[in-house]
Amino acid sequence: MKPPIAPYAFIAPALLLLLAFGVLPVVVALLVSVTDLDLAGLADWANVGFVGLENYRELLADHGFWQALANTGIYAVFGVPAVVVASLAVALLLNRSENRFFRALRAFYFVPAVTAIVAVSLVWGYLYNTRFGLLNHLLSLVGLPPAQWLGDSVLVKFSVALVAVWRGTGLNIIIFLAALKGIPREYLEAAALDGASELRKITSIVLPLLRFAILFVTVTTVIAWLQLFDEPYVLTKGGPLGRSTSISLFLYQEGFAAGRFGYAGAGTLVLFLVIAGATLVQMRARRFDADH
Amino acid sequence: MRRLRPAPVAPILAVSLIMLAACSESGGGADRELTVWIMGDSSAHFQELVRPFTDRTGIGVDTVAIPWDSADQKLTTAVASGRGPDVLQIGLSKARVIAGSGALLELDEETLKGHANLTARNFLGGLPAADGKAGGKAVSVPWVSDTRVLFYRTDVLAAKGITRPPETWDQVRADARLLASRGAGAFGYFIPQWDSALPVIMTWAMGGHIVNADGEIAFDTPAFRKAVDLYTGMYADRSVPADTDFDQVQGFVSGVTPMLVSGPYLAGAIASAAPELAGKWAIALTPGDVTRTSLLAGSNLGVWGTTDDRDGALRLLDYLADPRTQLTWYRLDGQLPAARSALGEVRRSPDPAAKVYSKQLDDARPLPQVPNWDGETGKALLDTLNAIVLTGANRDTALRGLYAATDGTPAR
Amino acid sequence: MRITDSRGTTAVIGAVLGVGALITAFPFVWMVSGSVKPRSESVGHPPRILPREPTPQYFTQLFEEMDFGRYLVNTVAVVLISMTGVVLMAMAGYGFAKFRFRGRGPLFFLVLATMMVPVQVTMIPTYLLLDGVRLTDTLAGVALPGLVSGFSVFLFRQFISTVPTETIEAARIDGAGEVRVFWHIVLPLCRPIMAVQIILTFIGSWNSFLWPLIIATDQRYYTLSVGVSLLNRQIATNPSLQMAGATLMVVPVLIVFVVFQRSIVRGFTLSGLK
Repeated sequence: MKPPIAPYAFIAPALLLLLAFGVLPVVVALLVSVTDLDLAGLADWANVGFVGLENYRELLADHGFWQALANTGIYAVFGVPAVVVASLAVALLLNRSENRFFRALRAFYFVPAVTAIVAVSLVWGYLYNTRFGLLNHLLSLVGLPPAQWLGDSVLVKFSVALVAVWRGTGLNIIIFLAALKGIPREYLEAAALDGASELRKITSIVLPLLRFAILFVTVTTVIAWLQLFDEPYVLTKGGPLGRSTSISLFLYQEGFAAGRFGYAGAGTLVLFLVIAGATLVQMRARRFDADH
Repeated sequence: MRRLRPAPVAPILAVSLIMLAACSESGGGADRELTVWIMGDSSAHFQELVRPFTDRTGIGVDTVAIPWDSADQKLTTAVASGRGPDVLQIGLSKARVIAGSGALLELDEETLKGHANLTARNFLGGLPAADGKAGGKAVSVPWVSDTRVLFYRTDVLAAKGITRPPETWDQVRADARLLASRGAGAFGYFIPQWDSALPVIMTWAMGGHIVNADGEIAFDTPAFRKAVDLYTGMYADRSVPADTDFDQVQGFVSGVTPMLVSGPYLAGAIASAAPELAGKWAIALTPGDVTRTSLLAGSNLGVWGTTDDRDGALRLLDYLADPRTQLTWYRLDGQLPAARSALGEVRRSPDPAAKVYSKQLDDARPLPQVPNWDGETGKALLDTLNAIVLTGANRDTALRGLYAATDGTPAR
Repeated sequence: MRITDSRGTTAVIGAVLGVGALITAFPFVWMVSGSVKPRSESVGHPPRILPREPTPQYFTQLFEEMDFGRYLVNTVAVVLISMTGVVLMAMAGYGFAKFRFRGRGPLFFLVLATMMVPVQVTMIPTYLLLDGVRLTDTLAGVALPGLVSGFSVFLFRQFISTVPTETIEAARIDGAGEVRVFWHIVLPLCRPIMAVQIILTFIGSWNSFLWPLIIATDQRYYTLSVGVSLLNRQIATNPSLQMAGATLMVVPVLIVFVVFQRSIVRGFTLSGLK
């Protein structure tokens, strides 16, 4: 019989790190969420008091919380399909040829994904600037009035989501491209011999074979968008008046800016449950078979 | 990828060495060294400022620049772990919050003995030094002062026949309307949407206060309502841009917004962004109808409670409060001194801007010392005003909401 | 897919993709052009794409005045430290893929669950933990929380499960210990996925933003991203300087990507993601 130590030894280092930096913080958040921990409490634990479910009650009554939740939902509902469809479309097109030009194009599509968020915020901030930015300047050249990209209550969500979509497609294009390359050529050639058109081939053969990749990309993208933080943080800090805040940003602002850690802890737990729930729903919808 | 095969040994060795180096905190030798947190831009100059201190006392100073955006995070983690710097710069609007955390060293008479420069009398009156928890214990000393004055484009105003800067807010509003009539895309005045001090300054200008006789916040006063009407009125006149991402330096330099109320740091920004604009802009006292009181702001310095070099930290504070050091800092970084005699020197300087600043400081008041101005009271004020001017909220409903949220907040 | 009669279609697709690529990469172009524009041109209006008088002064300023040389070294060090994480994750992927043991299911679920934790809100507990082991204010402390990710463990496990078990069994029968089997058999077979992981780790640790800022009490340990955020002055922004800093951050990563491009795609392909 194999000694039972081996597998545990192999998974231990990574697992311990994940537990320490992934699971433990959620547990701490849970514990903190039933207290009134604030900055003074951090300095001296004697200042901390137990408040039961008060934080949760306050959270559910907080207009800002629901607004952030709604914004995040809007972001996910529009952003995830945009990312998945755009990545898939570009990957399908890029897969057309292996020549140098097409390979070189990959780097261009990957640029947004590797650009640090601080750099992204600088550039897009200038592009979006209402008065001095490039986009409105271009609009003025064709006679259109300037748009309040980051100032208008509705448009701001689109602007923030656009940057997130722009950043999110890079890696997924690579993943889809890789999946496409894994499709045996015989299938496609057989179909061509049978007289199938390009579109037919794509819909009847390629897409079904990409099922797993599509599911994988969708699930990871949903998880990422429910945690959306970087883009609203650097572009608008959640403004104007919370119209572009995501739930992650809302919790961060409550935790640090306002110093209400118990409150933020309650929100963290809620967010975690929402994400876990959404993931489970997606898995159930398609049998998630990792070991085929 | 054959390279991956023989690779393992070399990179592992390299990484191990780096990790060993990485895990060792590079504490210097046995020499004393103080860690000082300075906000954003000023850290490079600060290093230069403290060189004489190190030369004279042998105590090194390690300046750490803290980006403005992250000041809250850095502080929170420092408080959480109990380990922070030795000395830190504290913006006045954050003073109460930091003091409330109990993380700073108490600076009572006993502690300050022997450090002549740190006596409260030496500093500009009105600067809060006693900002500890209820009990009024001082946990920081003033370092630099700051105020707000009117910036205006002399050439743009002259082109519209305005030869003197406006002195009352009514004049400002009228002048702004005139300037905004220059054409599409032109405005008369700029109101920063993040500036919670401006409506307070306007209230003072109307002869009112936002703190009542009981020492609590009370916005519901006629003066405040007049200020609100002024604030929202300028938006309604279309004299003020409604963009949330308007760059005030660019606006001033390009002439789009030729007037605004701001602090000395803006003067430095304009000078470096557009040196060719010299001679075409000037500053004047904040406008006012009843009084021309402006904001008294600035930063204090505090000593971290659990520092292991209390004596060194206090000596540094003493050095920084020395009027000569304060004047050097003004020359290096453009921040106004807080020490009285240094301010006297500034007043005597031939620079017309310096004269305006020091004159304004004679009539300046700090924001109310509420538990959390930036995060709560000031934020509620801004949210209310922005809701009215940006999203068209009903004025009376919004104001009622503000009163409900802020009434009774203690403010010493 | 060399179907000769649609050479024309390929050209059209190439053109469409080319335009798309230019649009996608446009912000990047704007950033690079802004990094060599004199300050007056950066704040000038109307905005122009190409600089009239390009100048490299801001890049030199970054290194001479703003200590970016040190930040660069720190960032490289953090990246290298993060590479050890790749080996740890490969080990975990191997453990989950090729062994049956008690608790395998729940533990792997736990690994996946860590992907669902919103990172920013875990900052304080993470900070306290690192403070407890005295690793704040060190480069190791900067690298540690991001060392391992559930996503990558998942990828490794996916990939390694496609490795034929017979190969491993054969090595064991030959008397090789578990460590030898992993190091000399499994790991070499992981080259494609290792390439993917190295790139992902490189990008992640090179760009990490919030964490290096919070953990480092000493400016000596700031990384490039913190340095760039320091350039975001409260009032007197210098767009050219900021763009120079941003360009400095992006270019090395792009170079690494271009060099390893093929390996990356192949790595994902072979990981059985279809």
